[in-house]
Amino acid sequence: MKAYTITRDNLGAWLDALARDYTLIAPVREEETVSLFKPVRGFAEINLGYTNSTVSPKGWLFPQTEEMFFFSTGGGQITLADAQTPGPAVLFGLRPCDIKGILALDPVFNGAYQDCYYQKRRQDTILVGLSCTRVERHCFCTSMGGGPTDGGGADLLLTEMDDGYGIEVLTPRGEELVNRYQQYFDADRENRVIPAREELGKKLAGQFTRNVDTTGVKEFLDQHFELPYWGELARRCLGCGICTYICPTCHCFDIFDQSPDGELGVRSRCWDSCMFSHFTRMAGGHNPRPTQKERVRNRFLHKLKYHRDRYNLDGCVGCGRCVTRCPVNIDIRQIIADLQEVARHD
Amino acid sequence: MKIQENLRETARKLLADGEASLVIGYAPGSEVSRVVPAFISREDEVDRLVWNPLCINNLAKYLLDYRHEPGKVAVVVKGCDSRAINRLLQDNQITREKVIILGIPCPGLINPDLVAARLDPGAQITVAAVSEQDFSLQTEEETFTFTRDEALLKKCRDCEQHTPVIADFMLGEEIPPNDPADPFVAVKTLEELPVEERSAYWDKQFSRCLRCYACRNVCPACTCRECVFDQAEPCWVAKANNLSENTAFHLIRAFHVAGRCVDCGECDRVCPVNIPLSLLNRKILKDIKDLFNVPTPGTSLEELPPLGAFTKSDPDEFM
Repeated sequence: MKAYTITRDNLGAWLDALARDYTLIAPVREEETVSLFKPVRGFAEINLGYTNSTVSPKGWLFPQTEEMFFFSTGGGQITLADAQTPGPAVLFGLRPCDIKGILALDPVFNGAYQDCYYQKRRQDTILVGLSCTRVERHCFCTSMGGGPTDGGGADLLLTEMDDGYGIEVLTPRGEELVNRYQQYFDADRENRVIPAREELGKKLAGQFTRNVDTTGVKEFLDQHFELPYWGELARRCLGCGICTYICPTCHCFDIFDQSPDGELGVRSRCWDSCMFSHFTRMAGGHNPRPTQKERVRNRFLHKLKYHRDRYNLDGCVGCGRCVTRCPVNIDIRQIIADLQEVARHD
Repeated sequence: MKIQENLRETARKLLADGEASLVIGYAPGSEVSRVVPAFISREDEVDRLVWNPLCINNLAKYLLDYRHEPGKVAVVVKGCDSRAINRLLQDNQITREKVIILGIPCPGLINPDLVAARLDPGAQITVAAVSEQDFSLQTEEETFTFTRDEALLKKCRDCEQHTPVIADFMLGEEIPPNDPADPFVAVKTLEELPVEERSAYWDKQFSRCLRCYACRNVCPACTCRECVFDQAEPCWVAKANNLSENTAFHLIRAFHVAGRCVDCGECDRVCPVNIPLSLLNRKILKDIKDLFNVPTPGTSLEELPPLGAFTKSDPDEFM
C-alpha cells in the first residue's frame, strides 16, 4: 500500500479543505477533561492531542438519537417521508481501538440484517485513523487483539512523525481521497512512514500498565450462566448508562414516536442501555431481567461471549473508557481476571 | 489508621453479635486510586474494609436496596454523606431502627487523579494519614506525600461538616468545622453574567449530556419508585437526546431535589462528561437559604425541608 507524508501546515490546510467539501467529524476538546467527536468547521476547532475521547465516535454512524422517518395520518391515510441523511462525511482522527469498535458494529447493522440507516452513513463516511502517541492508564487494546498503531479497518491511517504526519493508504477509497487533495501530500520516497509507525508501536507496547489475559474466559462462560459472582458485582452497580453510552461497541436502541397532535410526527431511534431497569420490561410488566444482577451479567456476557458467538469478534476493544468513568469501579479488566479465578476454583 | 481498625472491629462485633446482617463500607478497588463500595456480611471478610482519603462514594443510598431485609444494615458515612441519612429518614425511605450508622469524621479527601498519576496502579495503600498540611499515602514500596493545597478534592474545600451529623458509632475524634469558605462563589460568579451568557453557558453544558442518568441514580434525594424520566405515558421528557430535552431533564431534576439536595457532590463526581451539576443544585440551595434561612438539607433530623413542611406562619403572598 502507498504511503505519503504531510507537513503540519499542510495538515491544517487539508483539514480546512475537508471541512469545506465534506461533513468533517473530528475530536474537539470541551472543558479541560472532556473530548468529543463533533462536526467541525475547520482545523482550528480540532484537538488531535487527545488520547481517548470521552465518548466513543460511534455516534456518527449510530447517532444517539436518529430520525428514521416522518409520518402523517391526516385524511385516514398514512403518509411516510424519509428523514434527511447527512451525506458524504469524513470521520477524522479515529484511534485504532475505535476503528475496531466500528468493525465490531458492522456485522450487527450491516451483516445478515441490513440496517439502512447505519449502512447509508457507513457508506458515506470515510474513516481516517490516527495512531496513538500515548497509552492511557486504562488502555488495554493490546489484550483485546488490537494495538495503538494498528489502524486496520480505516481508509487512511495517520501517524505523527517528527516533522509532520505519515499517511498510509489502506483502501481504494482512502487512495481516492488522497488523490483528490494531492497538493497537500508528498510521496514517502524514503519509505519512512511504515517503519516510523512500527517503531512507535513497539515503544507504546511497553507502556501498558495492565495486561489482561482472556484465555478460557469465553469457554468458561459458555458453560456457566449462573454465577454468584454476578450478584456480588451488581450490588454496587448504580444501574446508570455510562458504560454502555461511552462504549464503542454497545449498540442497543429503542424506537419511539413523537407526535404533538397525533397526526404529524417523527419516528426516531435512540440509544438504550441494558443497565436500565426498564430495558427489557414488557408491556404487561414482566421483566426477564428483574434485578441488576441479570443486567450486569448481560453486559459482560455480551462483551465476552455473545458477540463472539454471533460474529466471532470480541465485544470489547480495550479502549478503557468504562474503566475510567464507572462511578463504582466496575472494571472489565478486573472482571476478566476474577472470572479466571472463579474458573480455576470451579 | 486508628479509624480503619475501629471500623473493622466495630463491623466484626456487629456481625458476630448478629446485631447487623450487613455492613456497607469501602474496600480496595481494581487499582490503587480507587475504592469500591463493599458489602460485608461475614466476619471473615471484615478485614477487606478500608478507610483512606480515597473513600469518596456516598454509600447512604445503598440502604434503599436493603430496606426490606429482615436484619439491620450498618453503613459507613462521612460528614457530607451523613446528611443523606437524615434526608432518607425524613422521607421515610429508611427506618431508623433498621440502620446502624458508622460515622467517620473526615478531614477531607484526595483527588484520585493525582494519586493515579503518581502511584503504581497495582500498589496497595498500607497506611494513609492526613495532616493539616498534607496527605501521606504509604504503600509496600514507599511513601507518597501530597500537599493539601494541590490534592484536596474540590468538594472538600468548602466542607460544611467533617463530623457526621448522625451516627450510632463515631469511629474517630470529632473534627470541628472549618472556618467555612463561601460555597457559593462559583454560583455568584455565574449569577452576575448577563442572561444570554448564562444561557449559553448552560446550553453548552447540557448539549453534551448523555442522559445516562448516573446523576439521578447516585443521588440520595432521588428515591421515586418510578422516575418521571422513565415514564413513557405521560411523556414529560422525550427520550430524544437534544438540547431542549436535555435542558428539561436537568431543570426538572434540579427543581425536584430542591430543598432536599444534601450537597454531597456525587452528581458532579459521576457525570461522565463533567457537567457541573453541583453548580445547578447549589444555585437552588443558595436561593432556599436566602429565602428561608435554613441550614443545608439533612443537617438536622428535626429540621424539615422548607418546601416539604407546613407551618401556619408561612407567608402566602403568592396565593
